[in-house]
Amino acid sequence: MLACADRPSAGTREQEYDTYVSGVGLSVMTEASATTETPEERQARFEADALPFLDQLYGAALRMTRNPQDAEDLVQETFAKAFSAFHQFKAGTNLKAWLYRILTNTYINTYRKKQRQPQQVTDEIEDWQIAAASSHTSGGLKSAEMEALEHLPDSDVKEALQKLPEDFRYAVYLADVEGFPYKDIAEIMETPIGTVMSRLHRGRRLLRELLSDYARDRGMAATGAGETA
Amino acid sequence: MICDGPDCEKALSNLYLFIDQEIDTASCEEIQAHIDDCSDCLSVYDLERVVKSLVSRSCTEVAPQPLREKVLFSIRTVQVQITEQRGT
Repeated sequence: MLACADRPSAGTREQEYDTYVSGVGLSVMTEASATTETPEERQARFEADALPFLDQLYGAALRMTRNPQDAEDLVQETFAKAFSAFHQFKAGTNLKAWLYRILTNTYINTYRKKQRQPQQVTDEIEDWQIAAASSHTSGGLKSAEMEALEHLPDSDVKEALQKLPEDFRYAVYLADVEGFPYKDIAEIMETPIGTVMSRLHRGRRLLRELLSDYARDRGMAATGAGETA
Repeated sequence: MICDGPDCEKALSNLYLFIDQEIDTASCEEIQAHIDDCSDCLSVYDLERVVKSLVSRSCTEVAPQPLREKVLFSIRTVQVQITEQRGT
């Protein structure tokens, strides 16, 4: 059971929904006060503070590029850029969000272009896709299917995520895997909080339908293939 | 799904805010009380929680060791360049 109010007050959140948020944007970084730090000290601090996020950033890069080699290149480039800009990082602010911001920018500027995929205009995804996805939800899942859902292999979940439009996939990843609050996701993706919520909403609906389909198939296989409807 | 009372509507429209812990305490308690009583809403909430935890469980990765080494190497290379620039 989820505990209530684990997060700081959301009292003003409603007014923020459509406000552009740019808290961790690189442009607003101010010079670190620790200008007395030697380059060697800064390097040690970077390795101690930023490097522990390597696995997480690699996971995010893999979800975005969908290709291990590109994910490695993206992460490597991200750390090189982050280290070069580390003197601009304001100590005490959110380092993890700052690193994700750099990862996202690098991805958009380099890999999205390189992949030469027509960019998906995800916020304008056809409503029929959503409607088609939700129409067969109404029955919900039977308990055997719910059971199958909970035991879906990781590969099914990753495959389903890969099918989501990029912006939906990334929003879901940041919320569910990294546990970022909406405010941070808005900063990382450089969108208003309202857009984050919309991407999460649509992404999860699509994901839920895809996973429910996998679970129904597996549930059906488990209870005997003879009983097909 | 027969889930159309005003309390159900509030619970369902705040579904994601609730499971993402983005909701204020008062609404959270109100919704918690509702889903404790309403099995239709509870099943919707349960499904979303399962999906959320599945994504979290399935997408955790460990970076390959060579990547770790390459990242360290590039940090130290940048460091040397910075030091040389300052020295000249």
